[in-house]
This record gives sequence, structure tokens and C-alpha cells, in this order.
Amino acid sequence: MKNVLMYTLSTCPWCRKTKKYFTDHNIPFQFVDYDLQTAEEQEKIELEMKKRGGALSFPWVLIGDDVVVGWNPAKYDELMALSKTK
Amino acid sequence: MDVEARKRSLRYFFAKIVEPLGYKFTPDEELADFLLEQESHLEEAHGSPFCPCQGRTQNHAENMQIVCPCIPFHRDHFDYMKRCWCGLFVHKDVTDADSLSQIPYADFTKARDDARGSGDDR
Repeated sequence: MKNVLMYTLSTCPWCRKTKKYFTDHNIPFQFVDYDLQTAEEQEKIELEMKKRGGALSFPWVLIGDDVVVGWNPAKYDELMALSKTK
Repeated sequence: MDVEARKRSLRYFFAKIVEPLGYKFTPDEELADFLLEQESHLEEAHGSPFCPCQGRTQNHAENMQIVCPCIPFHRDHFDYMKRCWCGLFVHKDVTDADSLSQIPYADFTKARDDARGSGDDR
């Protein structure tokens, strides 16, 4: 199964839905609430998100090597289904 | 802070700003209430009702572009989605807010550039 890492905001309802999606599908994931990090940690996350072609828009989900920005369950389904065939 | 009173105030002021821009509050009352509550807390903690779904940085000028309602700073992108990023506002002509999705800015710019490339010479 692909590794799943997500950057989220504690204030964002779509981030909550994203976490719930992966929880409900029994897919293990790691998450970091960007807004609860130190300024130094936030800067690292910001650089990583922007390096991968994103703005600071949340939720930001890294599934394997693919980044999904925004609440997009169809894309999560697609990427996780792909991982099951490998 | 009286959060409920602040939510009512934000709703009152925001409606006056977004209406001339062609937007309205999402018909999803539960979502609107949650977002306004988060914005009230963000305003109390950080001085402005920042978007609950976009990150603040150390850059003040950038941060000012995500103070709600941030539609004027992201007009083309939001018009393309027919909603703002967090979904507090949708286009006036939207009747089914659930049918709208968050489209990443990079996807929007690619679609826009592709459309321009396939069009007539400007």
C-alpha cells in the first residue's frame, strides 16, 4: 500500500473530511496540522508544498509520489486502487 | 468574545461585499456556520478573519490575500470553480453546492492555458 502523508489545517472542514475518508477506508496515514507547527516547521512545509507545484491550499495529500490538493475522494480512490494492483 | 455575535456580524458584512462580486453564501448552512466560527477564532487570534482552508506564512502581503472574503485576489480561479476555496461562497447561479469541487490552482492555470492555446489567435 502506498504511503499517505497529508498536510492539513485544524480549522479546515475539508481537511477533516479527508482524514475521515482515509480513516473510514482503513488506510493508514500521517498528518501534520500546518497551523499548529512552529514558524520554522511551517516554512519547511511551505517550501515542500510550493516545490511540488502547490499554493498553501489545504488539504494537501501525498499518496505515494502523487500530490492531491483539495478534497478529492475520486482521486484518492483512483490512486489507492492503483496501489492495490502493484 | 461572543462568537455567535461575531459570526452574525461577519455574515452581515460579507454579504455586502460578495453580492456585487456575483457570489452568495453557500446554501450548506452547517458548512457556513462552521467556517464562520473558525474565522471568528482566527480573527481573535491573528487580527483578521483569515480563510480557514489556506495557510498563513511570514509574508504579511501574502496573508492579506487570504482574508475573507478573498474572492478579489483569486477571482479567475474562484470563478472557474464557481466557489471560493473553502466553500463559504458560491456563484449566485449555483443551486447544488455539493456538485462543486476544489480545483487546485495549478490545474486551473493549465486548463486556462490549454484553452487559450486551442483558441483563435489573439
